[in-house]
Amino acid sequence: MTVSALTRPGERDRLIVKLAELDWVFVLVLSLIAGAGALMLFSIAGSSWTPWAAAHVARFGICLLLMIALAMIDIRVWFALAYPVYGLGLLLLVAVEAVGDVRLGAQRWLSIGSFSFQPSEVMKLGIVLALARLYHGVSAERARLSWWLLVPALMIGVPVLLVAHQPDLGTAMLIALTGGAIVMLAGLSWKVIGAALAGALAVIPPFVMFGMHEYQRQRVLTFLDPESDPSGSGYHILQSMIALGSGGLLGKGYGLGSQSQLNFLPEKQTDFIFATLAEEFGFVGCVSLLVLYAAAIFMALRTSYLSHSHFGRLAAAGVTATFTLYVLINGAMVMGLAPVVGVPMPMLSYGGTVMLTVMIGFGLVQSVRVHRYAEVTSGKGSFV
Amino acid sequence: MTQPAIFFAEVNERQGLFHRRAILLGAFAGIGISALGARLAYLQLFETQRYEKLATSNQFNFKLAPAPRGVIVDRNGAVLAANRPNFRLMVARDKGMDTEATLKTLASFVPLDDARQRRLLKDIHNAPKRAPVPVMEDMSWEQFSAINVRAPELPGVTADVGEVRVYPHGGAFAHVIGYVAKVNKDDIDAIGKAGGVPDPIMLHPGFRIGKQGVEKALDAELRGRPGAHKVEVDANGREVGHDVDGDIPAVPGDEVQLTLDVDIQNRALEVFGEESGGAVMMDCRTGDILCMSSAPSFDANRFVRGLTGAEYRALSGYERKPLLDKCLTGLYPPGSTFKTMTALAVLMAGIDPEARVSCGGGMNFGGRYFHCHKRGGHGSQNLHDAIKNSCDTYFYSMSLRVGPDRIAQAARAFGLGQTFDIGIPGQKKGIVPDPAWKKRYFSKNEAQQPWWPGENLSYAIGQGYLQVNCLQLAVMTARLANREYKALNPRLIKSVGGKERPRGSDAPDLPFPREHIDRVRAGMAAVTDQSQGGTAWRASQLGLGNILMAGKTGTAQVRNYDSGGSRGKGGTWGLRDHGLFVAFAPIDQPRYAIAVIVQHGMGGSTAAAPRAREIMRTALLKDPELISGIQKPLPMPEIIPDTELDTVPAVSNVERTI
Repeated sequence: MTVSALTRPGERDRLIVKLAELDWVFVLVLSLIAGAGALMLFSIAGSSWTPWAAAHVARFGICLLLMIALAMIDIRVWFALAYPVYGLGLLLLVAVEAVGDVRLGAQRWLSIGSFSFQPSEVMKLGIVLALARLYHGVSAERARLSWWLLVPALMIGVPVLLVAHQPDLGTAMLIALTGGAIVMLAGLSWKVIGAALAGALAVIPPFVMFGMHEYQRQRVLTFLDPESDPSGSGYHILQSMIALGSGGLLGKGYGLGSQSQLNFLPEKQTDFIFATLAEEFGFVGCVSLLVLYAAAIFMALRTSYLSHSHFGRLAAAGVTATFTLYVLINGAMVMGLAPVVGVPMPMLSYGGTVMLTVMIGFGLVQSVRVHRYAEVTSGKGSFV
Repeated sequence: MTQPAIFFAEVNERQGLFHRRAILLGAFAGIGISALGARLAYLQLFETQRYEKLATSNQFNFKLAPAPRGVIVDRNGAVLAANRPNFRLMVARDKGMDTEATLKTLASFVPLDDARQRRLLKDIHNAPKRAPVPVMEDMSWEQFSAINVRAPELPGVTADVGEVRVYPHGGAFAHVIGYVAKVNKDDIDAIGKAGGVPDPIMLHPGFRIGKQGVEKALDAELRGRPGAHKVEVDANGREVGHDVDGDIPAVPGDEVQLTLDVDIQNRALEVFGEESGGAVMMDCRTGDILCMSSAPSFDANRFVRGLTGAEYRALSGYERKPLLDKCLTGLYPPGSTFKTMTALAVLMAGIDPEARVSCGGGMNFGGRYFHCHKRGGHGSQNLHDAIKNSCDTYFYSMSLRVGPDRIAQAARAFGLGQTFDIGIPGQKKGIVPDPAWKKRYFSKNEAQQPWWPGENLSYAIGQGYLQVNCLQLAVMTARLANREYKALNPRLIKSVGGKERPRGSDAPDLPFPREHIDRVRAGMAAVTDQSQGGTAWRASQLGLGNILMAGKTGTAQVRNYDSGGSRGKGGTWGLRDHGLFVAFAPIDQPRYAIAVIVQHGMGGSTAAAPRAREIMRTALLKDPELISGIQKPLPMPEIIPDTELDTVPAVSNVERTI
């Protein structure tokens, strides 16, 4: 296929062309990360495909196919579905408030038949789509500083408060930060950004002391001084840091990490899988993984540059922001730089929900890439 | 990557703004990931050693293992206390384990009745998680191996081999050596009170602490230094591996050699039979204690296992008191054996030993008639006769001229009224009275304080306030018999860990002229001399040719006969007289000295002397030098060639088995 052929009308709508337009290097990077995850899950199960490694590989395979399928969907369909998805997410959050299951002391799960899921995951994508859709039809002037900004503030605030009430502070924070990132990318005035940051800094300490649940406060206080309670709530952080530190430059060797193999490391297959990798493969392994993550982030971010539509840009950048936050928050937590919050390392940690969410998000990013020249109308209420 | 030939740039303000802001987002991500990398570098490159240490201390635990306890042997190396393997079964509570079902399963391997299962279930639930509770000790090898094979299917169950103390001679050494037992709260508290910190090994379920005698006194030396097993554990504390190379070997406890002789000691307990009392034999050349036996005794092995309540009640409730050490702790009036000391006091006072006292069966003093043990009287007695016949009247009479201070001085010089540094606890000092002592003793009651002259009389025949223990009597006799005229000290512990303890013969001379001591010895020789008709001649014949034994009998009242009754020669056991005998042999070159007390045995010559003779015979017959003087070599039997032997294959290559 020649470059000029792509300029032919309709050429870009052909499936084969669309597939070729996918960022296959990006797919490779994601596969490497998921492969590293499978490798570690195989190791900590005592060199066994069960219970985690095989399921992880299978899930990634399905999610990858889903991502490619979603990338084929026209960006205008995404555009049209933006508000409905957000609305559905909001509805589900209200529903979970009313009839959700209580698991581990938090009301996060909604069961439909035998299938149960966390509606907050829908909202992670919904907020990106809805804000991108919103800003698509807004002038730079308004986006910078105006009373209109109350609309995005409300769109972010309502789901955040609902999720925080479950209570799931980690997800609430993630949604808030993702939303904030999009608002920032759309051109919010530095004055407002500065004021919001200052306000947040002022509000956090009293919120930690008075607004949090006991276990949440404990986590935060433990983070500030992990060795105050090494066998209690400081245990997670301390054991994780021991696993990391004892890995050294080259690690203890595959399958030889005492911290993870002997169960000293809690949640070793999910939130703390990075520590497992760090223990067995050392600094070299960790940095290699971080490079992969950085590559994924920059490739996704670059996609947002390519888009000709404002919706595409903001949507791709929003998903990138979510993914970046996942990586940074989990990394900081595992390394003892942040309190323990239930945020897994995307693609590496075992767990279907987050992988599904992230891969759907990347489906959107790839759709933006594939349809980067598509003209998205900004007409009000226009469907497709 | 393919690029369109025509680039439709949508140049507007929003796009420019987005691009600038997106760079910020990229920068944020870049800085964030770099920060993570920096943090990783710090943790993994600079702090590695610290975290490696923490990981290792997570992964490996050192499990203390008690050292083999030191062996206790007699003077010839015969084992008196050793260790034997003990197959133990232990169960610990663990997560996700059905303790009740586990015990039921175990009951099919070892006898565990329902009541015991219930008790164990309670113990296991009260014990800390994963702390093993002993379910059964001393399993047979079959039981042990059967459970060991099944152990992987039985979580929380461990069958291991520990060591348990064993006393091959049962009761013969129980009072001297004592026994070991589990550490109890009192032991821990005692250490805390003394300002120390209990050794962590004390909390080990297999550890035993010395509770009495040598086991207690030399506990630190016998204990050795515990070793440790390096075990790999998981986060739940379960053992998942054992690093044999990382083990710290235990240092076994020191071997303790006693001066006791196993044959003499066993014989001593034997000759006591049903009787109660003590026998102490010393080598009167070196001071070594060859025998220190208290009867009746108890089996120390039972204490190691842990006594049942019924067993303990039976032992402590028995009137002959098996738990009491009658050699060191039991105090008795020495009776006439003490006349040796009075005789020395008489000589010390400058009284002519040939001075005579006429015995008509007693004497009047202070309005009271003091009987001699011989109703008809001994007639005219000098010092030699008085010792030989144990004439009370002679000593009554002399005591008034000698006075209590001289008697006390002699008694103290010969070791009465004091304890000796023999290395084990439990010695009682006894009482050697004199006016000063009495004043101190009755400091609150002035009317009792003066020393009445009448007290001299009972003092002279070893009664009154005077109280001694059996070891003191043996020391007294050994000092009397010592050919160097030294104030010999007893020694019980010959060596600890190969290091010899000071000998008892490194002692100062006795503060008495030698001829005084010789006179007393001669008197004692007459006691057992048939031709002179001494008090104990019948019971003191050793039957070893010209090897003869000298001695002194004693019959001590335990109550005042003035109130009537059977005069201590019968009736209620607890009110009968004590029988005592002190002796040494051979007379010409004394080697062994012995003191025997038969509690409520009624007569020194009837109860104590025959027993002393038997113990003495055992010692003499074991003495290599004496044996060589008596024994003649056995005639070699003539070897008659056996024709049948030729058919037997050669045995020279067959390994000898012992």
